[in-house]
Amino acid sequence: MKLQNSFILREYLRPQVLPTTWCPGCGLGIILSAIAQAVHYRGLDKRDVAMVSGIGCTGRMSGYVDFNTLHTTHGRAPAFATGLKLARPDMSVLCVMGDGDSMSIGGNHLVHAMRRNIGLTAIVVNNAVYGLTGGQASPTTPVGGRTTTSRSGSIERPMNLETLARAAGAAFYARATVNHTAALVKLIERALAVPGFALVEVVSNCHVLYGRMNDLGDAAEMMQGMEGQTRRVNPVLLRRAALPHRLGTATSAQGHVSTEPVFDEDLRVQRGVIFEQPHRPDYARRYQTMLEGLKSKRAEAQT
Amino acid sequence: MTVVERGIYRIELNRTLCKACGLCIAWCPQQVLSADAEAYPVVSRLAACVNCKACERHCPDFAIEVIPPQS
Repeated sequence: MKLQNSFILREYLRPQVLPTTWCPGCGLGIILSAIAQAVHYRGLDKRDVAMVSGIGCTGRMSGYVDFNTLHTTHGRAPAFATGLKLARPDMSVLCVMGDGDSMSIGGNHLVHAMRRNIGLTAIVVNNAVYGLTGGQASPTTPVGGRTTTSRSGSIERPMNLETLARAAGAAFYARATVNHTAALVKLIERALAVPGFALVEVVSNCHVLYGRMNDLGDAAEMMQGMEGQTRRVNPVLLRRAALPHRLGTATSAQGHVSTEPVFDEDLRVQRGVIFEQPHRPDYARRYQTMLEGLKSKRAEAQT
Repeated sequence: MTVVERGIYRIELNRTLCKACGLCIAWCPQQVLSADAEAYPVVSRLAACVNCKACERHCPDFAIEVIPPQS
């Protein structure tokens, strides 16, 4: 059930700064709406939610929401969010970044936040282009994609964030598109419940810069194109893979099997929960264990 | 079987928030909305609305709302 727009406006946004500065038809508004709905359906108090954003079109999102917000320097949103999460472990920290912000300028901050597996909910809005600065090629511009800095088509291999997140040790990775709005809300809602680092990659549209240069049509046509270019990963299969007795493979000490990457002939981009690694302990849990260990050591020394 | 009632919903458009992107017009499966001379959406076939909220889900600017009769 979709929340009424007037309710979202009243409860979760700052109406005095609206309308947004984004171009007409930009998918970022849909993502903003999905975040507000996910926070509502998780039953979180907006005073216990923080949104940290970097620079870029996506970075402007923190100005519109009525949570605790931080608008930080370019690419450093995960670094600020890590500090916030350490100071206030009770808070749900959302970290909103664009593709250039997260993978290029802030690439190492994102990798280290994933390595620590700290309890952030990162939302990476992927529109394959630097939107705010005039349509330059970003780390996720596909090979052949025309941008203002790659007039005859990009020749660089795009970044594979999914594999990077798996290797770095993120606990949860999901992919959604702005076309599939109901799934987007559910995936963000699920990511908010993960104790470790949860990443939701949202495929968005930049019809003004990327769409126009690549003849992809207007906002509606780009969103309809996402339907054919993506396919849903069967969530039932993923749940089954998490159950060790249904698979004949070796299990880890905690009884979980991390879902291995699936290679098949279908080249469409997968959407849904791509992987979960719940057996990896999150930073807060390891920190707590360390503190308890130190306390018991001190108590032993005193007796 | 669910019976879909028509002609009982109200559609509210917020002209100050709307940027005339045309997503609501493109996504409406019943062609309830149409564009005016300035490309802003106008409700032209309200009786056909089935409260699917496709317009509301795809509106990036929180400018459209389908209101069911009880609220």
